[in-house]
Amino acid sequence: MAEADRIAIRTAGVVTPIGQDLDAFWSALVTGASGISRIERFRVDDLRVARGGEIKKLVRERPDELSTDCRASRLLIAAADELVAHVGGRPLAPDSRRVALVLGTALGGVEEGERALSGKRRPSRLARALYDSPTRALGQWLGAEGPLLTISTACASGATALGLAADLLRNGAADVAVAGGYDVLCRFVMKGFDALRSLTRDEVRPFDRRRSGLLLGEGAGLVLMERERDAAARGGKPLGYLLGHAGASDGFHISAPDPNGRGLETSIRGAMSQAGISPDEIEFVSAHGTGTPLNDKIEAAVLKRVLGRRAYAVPVNSIKAHTGHTMGAAATLEAIMCLLAWRHGQIPHTLNLEQPDPDCDLDFVATGPRPARPRISLSTSLGFGGCNAALVLEGA
Amino acid sequence: MRSSAVTAPRLRSTGLLSGWGRGLGALPEDAGTAAAGRAVVSAGRPVLGGDRFRRVTRECLLGVAAVEEALQEPGVPRALLAGSRTALLYATASAYGAANRAFIEGTGSTTLHFPYTAPSAVPAEVAIEFGITGPYAIFLGGAPAALSALWYAATLLASSACDRALVLAVETFDECADLYARGRWLVGRPLVEAAACALLEPGTGALSYSEQRGRRPAGPAATGIERRLGEAFACTPLVELGVARAAGTAPLDVRLRGVWRGSEAVLRWVEM
Repeated sequence: MAEADRIAIRTAGVVTPIGQDLDAFWSALVTGASGISRIERFRVDDLRVARGGEIKKLVRERPDELSTDCRASRLLIAAADELVAHVGGRPLAPDSRRVALVLGTALGGVEEGERALSGKRRPSRLARALYDSPTRALGQWLGAEGPLLTISTACASGATALGLAADLLRNGAADVAVAGGYDVLCRFVMKGFDALRSLTRDEVRPFDRRRSGLLLGEGAGLVLMERERDAAARGGKPLGYLLGHAGASDGFHISAPDPNGRGLETSIRGAMSQAGISPDEIEFVSAHGTGTPLNDKIEAAVLKRVLGRRAYAVPVNSIKAHTGHTMGAAATLEAIMCLLAWRHGQIPHTLNLEQPDPDCDLDFVATGPRPARPRISLSTSLGFGGCNAALVLEGA
Repeated sequence: MRSSAVTAPRLRSTGLLSGWGRGLGALPEDAGTAAAGRAVVSAGRPVLGGDRFRRVTRECLLGVAAVEEALQEPGVPRALLAGSRTALLYATASAYGAANRAFIEGTGSTTLHFPYTAPSAVPAEVAIEFGITGPYAIFLGGAPAALSALWYAATLLASSACDRALVLAVETFDECADLYARGRWLVGRPLVEAAACALLEPGTGALSYSEQRGRRPAGPAATGIERRLGEAFACTPLVELGVARAAGTAPLDVRLRGVWRGSEAVLRWVEM
């Protein structure tokens, strides 16, 4: 890749069950805090599992600026509020038509549809149930008047969104892009995963031999991206770089991942190829690591194939036991975590990984954060419908 | 509006299934007249062979059927699509609505139905049916989402991330016709269900793409293709591509414009 084509990640903003800004998020990750609790915001008493990574109160909410009570939009605006604070406020570029917004989501505004159809909201508000509605709400708040893209590659959405934003910048469709992912916990998704028996009654235990399923969470993660040459001209040190990305379909099953992990492997190889790096250069892997028996086994096998002889020497973690699986937000939050690991010189550990699974015998970071400064990271994501995505990131 | 420029692909084939029937030849001259007062022109439930499709939702079947239509063109064998060198880009504004509603209102078979509420269900079934395992992205919104998908297909082809790209759009309205009736000021009439696709290969032309929000879109409210097709959201640009190709203007030289919820996207495609 030409140096001029490198895409800088200038800063970020997050809202998660374990922290509602970058400092709080990072602190919770390395101290092993869990955001899992009994869900209080909607009815769960008829579900097998009533816990998740619920955000009890939005810390950064600014009611004077909010014209929406859509929770998804509110999470996004809260994350964006941190992001813009890091760069001195809005506008993000002199020409608002050159600001793109690319958001990934698995659920969009479906909670609004749920409420409208159940009579708790006026039917006229059904337009807010469209999956691209929260993107439009955030676009309006940011004053972004360039491309507004809503991506829905299920739980890989947050990675696909970052990749597409990078391509918009490389191709000159925008000068600045806010990209990321979000999703909210709502009865719709809890009922769905509960019916699928995907949720665990135990703790989430990624890569542990006792793992028995995932727990859902909610959140939003956003990054501010620009071409490296533009970042250099402006001055200041970015958080890092997105060196490469790729996505691929499994073409296997409507909800289950391909047991051979072909789509994930294609994605990882594609992202590394675009980044122009070899497996030997990967210093850390942020795995999707949902804690389901199948996902974790597939991921471990794919990482062994892709990283080859280096596979056992590269630290791997999953942060889903901290936050729950935040669906559309997950991949973006994990990408941000990779860059923070470089900045802080520590890799957060995989919470609740206590009894390693012989099928997942990689170098998982467990029991506590590991001192390390991984410059080049790989982040992997999988989702319903055979969606896979991978990002290669570099700390700055 | 400044544009993103990329090498334009070559349009290999197109497929269309709509409320008007199979293919471009079924399109009326004037959708409003042909609809004869119907708010929604349904495309029905395609009948596809194979036990696998027994529980599959209607929108998924429409997607598969549209791709089957594209394979009817000479020189486009089914095997061409299989493998990791084919990208699948999907766009929709509405095709998850029926499944979401059924799940919320409890009319879906809970366990089996939930995965079909995801917008990714339609391209997933297409990928499974045709063995597509290459680059993959799903764009949500109206016509601009399809233009974004076309732009991204061109980007993937230009960077050799794939050898061909299948851009697919599906829109369904029938199951939510009463809800669209409440918001009739939001959408055009008649709403026409459709599934459309375009198979693209590397080319040597020029493609530019831009999208802008917040300005009043310029130009007439309904383009020529919208008058013929009706309101079909993300399917519209793909149908317009097919119409331009069928008109025999070779090499292709089209300007596609899409408007959706205050955004306007423009894609200029010139084949060499």
